[in-house]
Amino acid sequence: MDNGTSPYSYRTRMRLTTTGSARNFSGGIVGRVATQDVPLAFRGQHIRFLARGAEQSVDLAGYRAILSHDDFATDRPIVDRLREADHFRSGDIVVLEGDSGFVRSLYRPYEHHHSLFVTERCNSNCLMCSQPPKDRDDVAALAERNRELIRLMYPAPEYLTITGGEPTLLGDALFDLLEQLKAWLPRTELHILTNGRTFAWPQYASRLGALRHPNLSLGVPLYSDFAGEHDYIVQAEGAFDQTVSGLHQAARNQIRVEVRVVLHRLSIPRLTRLVEYIYRNLTFVEHVALMGLEYVGYTPRNIAELWIDPFDYQDELEKAVQYLSMRNVPVSIYNHQLCVLRPSLWQYARKSISDWKNLYLPECEKCGVLDECGGLFQWAVKKHSEHIHALSKTECWADRVPKP
Amino acid sequence: MVEENEHSVAAEPSIIARFSHDVVSIESLLKTCYWFSRDFVCEVTEDGAGYSAVSLRPKAPGVSLEGVHDDFMNQALDFALRERVTTKTADIRDLLLAKAFSESGVLEDQPLGMFGDAVEDAKPDSMFKILSNY
Amino acid sequence: MARSFYPLQRFAPIPKQFSLLPFRFTRVDGKELLVNEAGEFIFAPEGTTRSLVDAAIDTQSILYRDLKAKHFIYDETSSALLDVLATKIRTKYDHVMGGTKLHIFVVTLRCEHSCHYCQVSRQTSEKGQFDMSRETADRSLSLMFEAPAPHMTLEFQGGEPMLAFDLIEYIVPRAKAEAQLRGKTLDLVVTTNLACATDEMLTFFRDEGVKVSTSLDGPAFLHNMNRPRPGNDSYERAIDGIERARAILGHENVAALMTTTLASLGHVREIIDEYVKREFHTIFLRPISPYGFAVKTRKRTGYEMNRFLEFYKQGLAHILDINRGGYRLAEIYTQILFTKILTPQGTGYVDLQSPAGEAWNVLVYNYNGDVFASDESRMLAEMNDLTFRLGNVHRDNRRSLFMSEAALKMFEASCNQSLAGCSDCAFQAYCGADPIYHHATQGDMYGHRPTSGFCMRNMEVIKHLFSFIKEDDPQTMGIFWSWITGRPLTVTELACA
Repeated sequence: MDNGTSPYSYRTRMRLTTTGSARNFSGGIVGRVATQDVPLAFRGQHIRFLARGAEQSVDLAGYRAILSHDDFATDRPIVDRLREADHFRSGDIVVLEGDSGFVRSLYRPYEHHHSLFVTERCNSNCLMCSQPPKDRDDVAALAERNRELIRLMYPAPEYLTITGGEPTLLGDALFDLLEQLKAWLPRTELHILTNGRTFAWPQYASRLGALRHPNLSLGVPLYSDFAGEHDYIVQAEGAFDQTVSGLHQAARNQIRVEVRVVLHRLSIPRLTRLVEYIYRNLTFVEHVALMGLEYVGYTPRNIAELWIDPFDYQDELEKAVQYLSMRNVPVSIYNHQLCVLRPSLWQYARKSISDWKNLYLPECEKCGVLDECGGLFQWAVKKHSEHIHALSKTECWADRVPKP
Repeated sequence: MVEENEHSVAAEPSIIARFSHDVVSIESLLKTCYWFSRDFVCEVTEDGAGYSAVSLRPKAPGVSLEGVHDDFMNQALDFALRERVTTKTADIRDLLLAKAFSESGVLEDQPLGMFGDAVEDAKPDSMFKILSNY
Repeated sequence: MARSFYPLQRFAPIPKQFSLLPFRFTRVDGKELLVNEAGEFIFAPEGTTRSLVDAAIDTQSILYRDLKAKHFIYDETSSALLDVLATKIRTKYDHVMGGTKLHIFVVTLRCEHSCHYCQVSRQTSEKGQFDMSRETADRSLSLMFEAPAPHMTLEFQGGEPMLAFDLIEYIVPRAKAEAQLRGKTLDLVVTTNLACATDEMLTFFRDEGVKVSTSLDGPAFLHNMNRPRPGNDSYERAIDGIERARAILGHENVAALMTTTLASLGHVREIIDEYVKREFHTIFLRPISPYGFAVKTRKRTGYEMNRFLEFYKQGLAHILDINRGGYRLAEIYTQILFTKILTPQGTGYVDLQSPAGEAWNVLVYNYNGDVFASDESRMLAEMNDLTFRLGNVHRDNRRSLFMSEAALKMFEASCNQSLAGCSDCAFQAYCGADPIYHHATQGDMYGHRPTSGFCMRNMEVIKHLFSFIKEDDPQTMGIFWSWITGRPLTVTELACA
């Protein structure tokens, strides 16, 4: 396991999960991390964190649980002997798992991107899935965890992604979750990442529409205008038909939708036709996101079929982006490094890699646009474009198309 | 199938083309004639043996006959092709227009296909009813 | 429990057979242009239609997949998604929904100009004889608001409507009150030559939100030639009116339309340059109006339309150059047609609709209360042709207007889907039907396509636009898209420094 001294880290890698020895409780305990003493009245929400070498004679009355880097003797709920602990900050919301000893960071106020994980189940099985599905009914357990998490989320995030697996598999539980979010975080904009297939059932789509959430949109992947090809990429028969029908049902119920496309060797050849299909058949789509491939999850296993150096598909990417921008359809490019993109496309590139995933390569240190570039995913050390290189300041300004 | 014939006695030249009804129906011939009727007087005569002859007589002295014969033939074949497309698609066209202009009835059906989630499919009271499998 | 991955064949098996969805075709430059029922098109190799009909196409080819994605064919390996196709068709016909949206009030026939192509104006200054009465205005308003359309436009016409300004003052507040009562939005426009527009009148328009649509035929010599008036200063007055109107109403609330005459045909660049000089950003290159003359001979129609088409093509080329130079100028007819061809939308433009927009989407309330299906049919009435008079506001309600013999006869000839020549036309989805035009020019509402000026113009213009589509130059198409979407010109469209 990496301890932060790898030659590839330039910015500190953000840890999401650690493990330790769990005692005196079962199930999960969700709480807010306190690295200092907290007044007694507030301790019920908090988990008292003790760093390496912390004093053992701390007053622990009233806290939900204890989190300790070192050994700690107590009959209170605790996870101690933590493998790593220097990533915990006050205000972080974590869950302690009594059965496994895992300590997962669920929410960190200082981050830019926040998500709510609702299930590992999925009815698709995409070749490049970054979160490979598990056929285990985890809905109830995660729902309980998320209920508490939402109550503790502070400050309220501007933007929250609901993700999985496939969130619509929650059935009623998804609507309960959305009702709770509507009540507790009314100004937070919600984005549900879903394959959209469940919305093909008219009653499901109308139920979501009836919720009338003021700030909700769906992010739905579509990989080809040719049904067979899309179904192959997502490894589910009939998925294209259901997704397109589902998108139409969503639109009928005034649910806002965005389409996402992961760019790889299978989706690139028909990319221009795909955006044309979106424009003519899914006119209501309010945004198209073109995303780089993540070397994680299933992708390494299928890399022979999926890999194409992003530098080599700039023609197709430019044509697709031009097609959409000409027609005034908002489009963004995610997860691409600026040195690999044509300068004409820089105005569409967004810094989208979640805080816990990004890093930069050694050559990036000298790059003139480092601050504007999203960097790479941490697993990109194993697979990335051959063309990553530092851009000089003059290169940047000469070719640059001004941001709109 | 096609002959060209110039009148030797009368002063008016004309084009004559002959078509088998198996290749181009009278309907398609008439449609072709319709488009040539700006510059030509068209006469269609059936010979009773499954053929029709079309004669094209220029309406005005300045109208050129060059290429008209080939042009007419090509257009007639195109109209015959259109007729075949129309025949093959008449029913589904009616269905589409009915769907397009009905007040409801569009996107009301349950979707076809599999749901595809092992956990949900295993439940006796699955929330998604499946209509048919591929 | 790990899942397996399955090969492509499981999801994309070779189809055993395929079926056709409805489409029409034509030949363009050695290729076939296929157009489906929703107006989507594809350029395909010669012979494609035949191989589709003969089921001889390679079902694993890129062309096959393109045809499937664009809804020309379907097969058993996936859903035809007919509901999606039906929705697309329905979107194209949105203009049919909601009933009459444009209501034209002819408040007076009086006018001080004597434009030779105009058949409606009266030179007398005697009010009353050719002015709309208040009773007629009230009845017309009542009828207008019987239409179910949630959004309407009330347009004042004439003669010269400003000569009856007091009636406009009477109608405007009443129309707005009624619209508000019924929860409708209402646009107000006055079509005027601005020659007698005082600042007080313009201020009234500004305060009431009435927009101005005026005429500018081109540079002074052309405009004055077209529009004689005592003092021969129509152009100067028009420019003065435009500037004053802009100053009071705001630049964006003053639009100009041109009338094309034989004299105009040789001066398209000068006309366009005049529009740029006067800082207009839209121009409408219209053909010479066929109304008001005796039914022209076939030859004359063809000759004039040919000259107009030259005028239009040269004009469009010049307009494109102007856009490349950074000045945004959109040609309206081109924009409307490109919207029909390239976008999922239909059009609200009455002259290019099928079912025809006449009566469906526009009604004209004449000064004497007679109701007409279009402005042109009112002009025919001035020449004693009452074919398209639907009724009178003092006798009829909306139902009896639409059930009148005139209306019913016209509706029969209103759908190009069933007209001879149109029913097989590849451009059917982009074109329209105009029974009034055909009645006026050919003596027959149904019309004779091969000799029809309407057909000739639309076919030629659409072919011309498809040549741009086929060429697919990013700069040129970018300019057209900036018109269609209303977005500004970007770096792609501007000429390199």
